[in-house]
Amino acid sequence: MSSIEGGRSDPDGRADPLHDLRTFVDELEAWLVTGPATLDAARAPIPSFAERVEVMSRLMADLHDAGWARYGWPESLGGLGGTIVHRAAMWDALARRGVAGMALFEHLEVLAPTLVALGPRDFVVRALPAFLSGRELWAQGFSEPEAGSDLASLRTRAVAADGGFIVNGRKIWTSWARYATWCLLLTRTGTPESRHRGLTALIVDLRSRGVEVTTIVQANGTDELAEVVFDDVFVPADRIVGQLDGGWAVAMHILSSERGTFAWFRHCFLYQHLREHLDHGDAGNDFGLGGALLDLVAVTATSHDGLRSHEAGVPLGPRATFTKLLLCAAEQAVNDWILDADADLAVGVQDAATAMRRQEYLFSRIVTVYGGSQQMQLETIAKQALGLP
Amino acid sequence: MTAGTPRSFEGDDEFLAAACAAASRSSGADALETLGWWDLLPELDDPDARAAVFAVFRAQGRSLTGSIALGALMAHPYPVPGDRQPGSVAAAVTRRSLRRGTVVLVVGDVPSELLLVDRPGVGASLVPVADVDLLRVEIPGRLALHEVVVDLDAAPISVPEVDAAPARRRSHALGRMAMSLEMLGAAEATLALAVEHVQAREQFGKPIGSFQAIRHLLAWARTDCAAVEAVARHAVALDRVAPTGFDEILKALAGRNARRACERTLQSFGGVGFTAEHDHHHFHSRVLALDSLLGTSSELTRELGARLRTSGSDPAIAAGVLVPVDAR
Ligand SMILES: Cc1cc2nc3c(=O)[nH]c(=O)nc-3n(C[C@H](O)[C@H](O)[C@H](O)COP(=O)(O)OP(=O)(O)OC[C@H]3O[C@@H](n4cnc5c(N)ncnc54)[C@H](O)[C@@H]3O)c2cc1C
Repeated sequence: MSSIEGGRSDPDGRADPLHDLRTFVDELEAWLVTGPATLDAARAPIPSFAERVEVMSRLMADLHDAGWARYGWPESLGGLGGTIVHRAAMWDALARRGVAGMALFEHLEVLAPTLVALGPRDFVVRALPAFLSGRELWAQGFSEPEAGSDLASLRTRAVAADGGFIVNGRKIWTSWARYATWCLLLTRTGTPESRHRGLTALIVDLRSRGVEVTTIVQANGTDELAEVVFDDVFVPADRIVGQLDGGWAVAMHILSSERGTFAWFRHCFLYQHLREHLDHGDAGNDFGLGGALLDLVAVTATSHDGLRSHEAGVPLGPRATFTKLLLCAAEQAVNDWILDADADLAVGVQDAATAMRRQEYLFSRIVTVYGGSQQMQLETIAKQALGLP
Repeated sequence: MTAGTPRSFEGDDEFLAAACAAASRSSGADALETLGWWDLLPELDDPDARAAVFAVFRAQGRSLTGSIALGALMAHPYPVPGDRQPGSVAAAVTRRSLRRGTVVLVVGDVPSELLLVDRPGVGASLVPVADVDLLRVEIPGRLALHEVVVDLDAAPISVPEVDAAPARRRSHALGRMAMSLEMLGAAEATLALAVEHVQAREQFGKPIGSFQAIRHLLAWARTDCAAVEAVARHAVALDRVAPTGFDEILKALAGRNARRACERTLQSFGGVGFTAEHDHHHFHSRVLALDSLLGTSSELTRELGARLRTSGSDPAIAAGVLVPVDAR
């Protein structure tokens, strides 16, 4: 099979994994067969989120040391070159090996592409390797108690001060904040009425004085969400992502990844989640299983388009929105089938695997809210794809 | 009322635009001629030619036109002896009727010479059109459908089972891809009509397209079309390297989504969408008819589930397989 890159090879005639994706996948899979002990740990069901973060961080350290996690990132920022397609292939391979999910390394595909594209270079050159190797993790601070769907109404203020900014305000639903070192924070630098024109994206050290992170225990029993309060927190001036007052463009860049390409990564794990439960199903519910498969295939195709557009530097536009809606539909269809096949998760049998299934099922009911609610996505399509006023 | 030309959809390109224009200007035969379709058909292994061959079906769905293209495409994999003129041979499609058992259908234009009728386990027969009775099936959708009255037991086998079996698999795969694109085209076109309608029709003093309930119905229809378009484009691009059964996945998805899109757009039309005068029912009927051939969405979906559950076979397109697809 030829590769899109034309299958360049080195002088010895050996295919070069950077340019030949098939070779990349084959060599990675060979490495995973005898993979590190951290791989086995990441394949076990782990209901505790804190423990999951630990285990995944250790696996990422090994993937980074062996080079795999560095493919797809620019050499100038500590990567080994290649494109998002290399990352897509790596996480697909990990899902196939039984790793249950990315945990907060999801932000590698939500936040990191924007840090690479728009972040302050001197900072990112240190921060990206630290993230890729699982040493320093990230959170996304957009939503506020009063600013959910209407993100442009947010009020957390950043006021210019000597050498930087002083930040005051309150963020909520900040996934993984308690495990994160850094937060990409959307702040108001313009007037209160400036809406999307007066926002600035700052990188905030969550260890700073004045930051308080309070865990939110969720309806599915896990506790990766948090409320984060900023009380006179100093942020150095060189921590701006994008432009001053240009935070909206940064947010849109992030949301384009979160809706368009991220779906590829999440759906790889949904596939495996479905496959691991095949022995639970019976013939009476094959229609539900087949339907979930159709929904997943729709995500494969649309998110693959997203990966290719991203690779080519072409903005996704409203296509990212289709992908987001289709991912939500697939996540719900997969979990509907799993619930139908085994109602133990509804009554709560207390083994680790059932507990995880229950978490995943309940989580799949809220996926239509984060990253822009389903209603907001439908509005985007109505306006941008259908041309309705 | 004539079919609207939709705003641009994903994957729209020059050839598709030309195919839509040709389809709405001329007869099906002339359209295939104008587009050079018969020269593209033997080049199915070339990705660009293949994409063009299939674009014709999406155009037919959008413009509610028809041709011999489906039958010719489905006959293509069979070794048919002799040098044949374009339009002289077409494959019939067989379906099981609850009431009448096996029914042989010609979908689209009738070939000038020979009808290829294939029977699993037996082989394929080339039956002279002059020797059969053709009963026109009257359903809306502006889809030419003929039931073939033929005594198959009396028809000699022209392609023995050993050759017919692989040809049949390929023929069905091609047919499913083609029908999926035609259903997509029909769904897209009625959606385009709906988008126009909701901007023009006013209730409560404003266009109904300003009500979120209506906007979201159509946004879902648009999303369903986007899903079919992307999967169809991948199926056509990957073709023989796609995972086994990918044609069935595509057709199950296309049938389900196109039907859903027709239902959602119908709701947005209100009563006028339920009239014979309005075009919506033609698009809807065409979708229903195509969904019912070579496996309905429900049948295929159930079978795909059963196959996945019992064999565990991996229907996913791995990242590695996607490498050769240039979706840009
Ligand atoms: C699991 C999870 C993880 C999250 N992680 C993060 C994170 O890491 N960082 C972060 O910043 N945020 C995060 N969020 C927050 C998320 O982005 C918000 O929940 C989301 O933007 C919706 O805001 P809200 O919850 O305030 O709901 P609201 O905006 O109050 O919406 C409630 C309901 O009203 C509907 N609605 C609102 N306005 C309209 C309208 N104009 N038309 C029609 N319907 C409307 C919505 O669709 C929704 O159904 C997360 C949320 C969840 C559930």
